[in-house]
Amino acid sequence: MELTLLWATFTGVGFAWAGIRLWSERLPDRPLDRIIVAAAIGLLAGRLWAMIGQGVSPLSNPADIIIVRGGVSTGAATVGALVAYLWGVKWRPAQLDAIAPAALAGLAGWHAGCLWRGACLGTASDLPWAWAQAGSDITRHPVELYAAIGLLMAGWAVSKLGWETLTRSGVALALAGLVRLATEPMRPSLGGGPIEIYVAAIAVGVLAVLLGRRLLANST
Amino acid sequence: MAALALALAACTSSPAVEVPSAHELPDTSVPEFEAHLAGVDRPAVVNIWASWCLPCRAEAPLLAYAHDKYASEIEFVGVSVQDNRTDALAFLDEFDLDFDHFFDRDRQIPQLYGGIGTPITFFFGPNGELVRTHNGVVDERTLALNIDEILNLP
Repeated sequence: MELTLLWATFTGVGFAWAGIRLWSERLPDRPLDRIIVAAAIGLLAGRLWAMIGQGVSPLSNPADIIIVRGGVSTGAATVGALVAYLWGVKWRPAQLDAIAPAALAGLAGWHAGCLWRGACLGTASDLPWAWAQAGSDITRHPVELYAAIGLLMAGWAVSKLGWETLTRSGVALALAGLVRLATEPMRPSLGGGPIEIYVAAIAVGVLAVLLGRRLLANST
Repeated sequence: MAALALALAACTSSPAVEVPSAHELPDTSVPEFEAHLAGVDRPAVVNIWASWCLPCRAEAPLLAYAHDKYASEIEFVGVSVQDNRTDALAFLDEFDLDFDHFFDRDRQIPQLYGGIGTPITFFFGPNGELVRTHNGVVDERTLALNIDEILNLP
């Protein structure tokens, strides 16, 4: 069963690789390695945060950390991945801008990996492209594919932007939050999903763009 | 130094005191378990678990949360397999899994419904029909989706 998660991960890496090939301008050296390491550290941070939130101590239950299906905090994973990447490129925000389209492509691939996991479906729908789980008559939105398409379009849009510091990365973060926010009502969830994290991502993304503009204005 | 002394004091073993469990874990057999499910007039989620099972620990908080949310609509039932009762009761106390649990040392219940390994989660419709079997750790998306399935069956 856990092998399906591995296939989804490979799909994410494959999409990130394609993104790097498509949008290679100003990238740091070994960009795919940097994306994979940042994603892995983000996953670890998200898992640890989720465990603490569930009242399970990672110190007294260290082996539980590897059971990622037990839950991963989206917010902590995002912050962990961003910090890990920035640390790897010596805190140069321009490198964040360079990697942003490929990172969105990688995220799109992770969502498209739902096809391996049998985990694409969301709320019930009668739309012509909705489909049902095996053995069920209830057709549903392929919500994770909607997210994958939205994130790919976001990657393409970000690749068309200029190179003002933090513009590409800020817009990328805001669009990633927007895509997740727009698809969340269609995603099966027990608690309604981390809406506040997506709103925060949009707000931080917009603030990053404004901050970049301010820095540019001050430097000229 | 004082903090270190306190920490060390906390780590030293004290005489074992048997704390009574807040949960019950009666033995069950296939006929008894089938009779229990037959008496349920709403959808049911049956989780097969064991205290020694690491993935069961990972999914336990999610099941506790789902039970809190859907207790009025769905019957949650736990079955402890290949376990010892003391450890199983400690597991229930640790994760506060406040629904009916049964003790199935010989693993008869999962053999009856056809699951593989531990944990397993079975989703039953309101008429008692087995709708879906999930082998392995159940994540939030899978649990929410299948709860939606059994709640919306005709």
